[in-house]
Amino acid sequence: MNGRPPLVSANGVAKRFGPVKALDGVSLDIASGEFFGLLGPNGAGKSTFMSLVAGIRRLDSGTLTVDGAGVAAGSASARLALGLVPQHIALYLELSAERNLRIFGELYGLRGAKLRERIGFALEAVGIADRRRGLVRTFSGGMQRRLNLAAALLHEPRLLLCDEPTVGIDPQSRNAIFELLQELNRGGLTVIYSTHYMEEATRLCSRVGIIDHGRILALGTIDELLARLPFEEEIRFPSSPQTRALSRELEASGDVETVDSVHRFRPRAGYRMSSFYGLTERHGLPARLFTSQRPTLEALFLQLTGRTLRE
Amino acid sequence: MSTILILVKKDFSILLQDKVSLLLTFIVPFVLIYIFGLVFHVNSSDPGPAGIRLAVVNQSDNPAAARLADALRAEKAFKVVSRYVNRDRSTRPLEEADLRPLMRADDFRFAVVIPADVVSAQAPGIHLKVYSNPRNEIEAQMVTGILQRTLFASVPELLGQSLQARARARVGGERLDRFNAAVAGAVARTFGGDEEALRARMADGDLGLGQLGGGGTGRGGDMLSRVVNIEAVQVAGNDVKSPAATLLVGGWAVQFLLFAVTASATGLFWEKQGGIFQRLLSGPVSRGDILWSKFLYGVCLGLVQLVVLFLAGEALYGIEIGGHIGLLVVVCVFAAAACTSFGMLIASVSPTAEAARGIATFLILLMCAVGGAWFPVSFMPPFIQNFSRLTLVYWSMEGFSQVLWAHATLVELLPTLGCLALMTAAVMAVAVWRFRTGRIFD
Repeated sequence: MNGRPPLVSANGVAKRFGPVKALDGVSLDIASGEFFGLLGPNGAGKSTFMSLVAGIRRLDSGTLTVDGAGVAAGSASARLALGLVPQHIALYLELSAERNLRIFGELYGLRGAKLRERIGFALEAVGIADRRRGLVRTFSGGMQRRLNLAAALLHEPRLLLCDEPTVGIDPQSRNAIFELLQELNRGGLTVIYSTHYMEEATRLCSRVGIIDHGRILALGTIDELLARLPFEEEIRFPSSPQTRALSRELEASGDVETVDSVHRFRPRAGYRMSSFYGLTERHGLPARLFTSQRPTLEALFLQLTGRTLRE
Repeated sequence: MSTILILVKKDFSILLQDKVSLLLTFIVPFVLIYIFGLVFHVNSSDPGPAGIRLAVVNQSDNPAAARLADALRAEKAFKVVSRYVNRDRSTRPLEEADLRPLMRADDFRFAVVIPADVVSAQAPGIHLKVYSNPRNEIEAQMVTGILQRTLFASVPELLGQSLQARARARVGGERLDRFNAAVAGAVARTFGGDEEALRARMADGDLGLGQLGGGGTGRGGDMLSRVVNIEAVQVAGNDVKSPAATLLVGGWAVQFLLFAVTASATGLFWEKQGGIFQRLLSGPVSRGDILWSKFLYGVCLGLVQLVVLFLAGEALYGIEIGGHIGLLVVVCVFAAAACTSFGMLIASVSPTAEAARGIATFLILLMCAVGGAWFPVSFMPPFIQNFSRLTLVYWSMEGFSQVLWAHATLVELLPTLGCLALMTAAVMAVAVWRFRTGRIFD
């Protein structure tokens, strides 16, 4: 939290879909002006939380307020305070970019010069002003994603809910979206950003909640979260017949995970790195095979759940 | 502008961008109405089928048989084939033995053989052989009917010859001659004329049937209509130029309206899958706004479609809507509302858009068949007619017919409008309940 009063406040929020517990007692506060990340694998409950904050679904128990108003009651002020960037391309593909924004702007009560001004701003902000009259279905995936974001900005929301807004897009569009979101956040916009890419959460978010099976497993700034890990660095080396024996021996001193033919060794607390280098010499493995990295949120997720984010 | 109107405007914007939907909504029904109008000879001065290929083999030397062949040749419904084309392109008269192979080769599907014993003392009536290879029952019945009509209308003397031959066989030539002479004498004495000529004509089978009603030509003419003189008294629609067109246009218009509004309602699935609902519902739009905007859009689309198609009917077939446009619009609104509620119900009870399309297609075709959109309800068995009144198609057609055919007043229309309104309310109530309890907005 940044010391400001919470814009979003969840307390014991629970939501079920039949026998499935989508959210199980989620409690967290998100301050005004924060860039908050909700990090978890698919099916963790991120989208359900977003839909509850957006007032699309009703919570089964607990309380959830946006700007002090309960969203469960479908508060008009809460709805006007937020903008949602859905996971899907929630646009009318048969219409032009401008027509789409006009419809969504009118639904928020924008009219005349104000509407034109906001449409112009949104299109400029996402870099597709020159394609304003183009039909959305003719746009690339990246352009559609950017327009998807633009539609949520028209009514100048105080809270922006981004539900995995960069799924399946090119790096250029992803960067454009990141830069825009960071700029808007610097301007005071509160952002809740759900993702299963730890790189995105690390790059964008000032605070992150790690969620799995509907429960918040960890909550804090990136540094606070990484400090929970019992090791300070992760050593990576390629998986090969020569390194197999080393990998087996290291299992006694920490976690060894193999991802994409690369071993990742995370030593237990108190492990002396001199022991590691002694082992590599004994196995006759050259130093160039090994790289050392700062631990990531991925490692923390693995530590907390025993699974990777992409599982 | 209210939320609902913005959403309705949005749906029309999408429709205007979708050329296929526009085509299916306005052009395809127009084309079908035109084609079916031609098929059923709506407003045609020359109704009935035309150009059915009919082979005629005349094996008789009876002059009346030759006249029958000529009458069939003159019949518009038939294109008579009476000659066989050899390989060297030379021709010869068609023979009975040629018929089967030619019919198997689909040169023609019907053939009449006028045998040498077309009139025989051994068998009563006129002896004709009809070969057929009918592709459908209706065509076969039509050909048989036209043959019988041509026979009795054009060569009634064949019937007379048959009676004479049969009588000769039963009572003997001498007694028949005496009978003919007695009748000819009585006719000549009573009405005038040459007794000998009358007797000769009777012996030739000319019993005067062709002269019924007076002014005869010695041939049959429309003898049947003179024998049975039906006086038709029409109690409604006397000044309606195009009664069949009203049924035709109304039926196709309702059918395509049902398809159009159902497609619009099932569009809810695409909007759900595309995440549009999430965006709308996270803003100042309620579920009710979404549902009622779809309903209002369906009603508006239906109204436009019906009015356009009736205007097309006016242009094509002279349906007179000018003096009744107000009431026609009222009926169109109620019919469109009923059709839209049906589309909403289908969308509300179906798990997917694909399922909705399948269910809708089946039910629409069923309702159109049972409800009288394709042919009059009276053509159907009584137990099906009982179901007709349960369909919105029936009441929509009833409304169109009342306005355009019977020139009903608003008060006279109220029961029909009431039925449509009740159906709309009941169906929408179920649809809204299903939308609330279903998963379309999840």
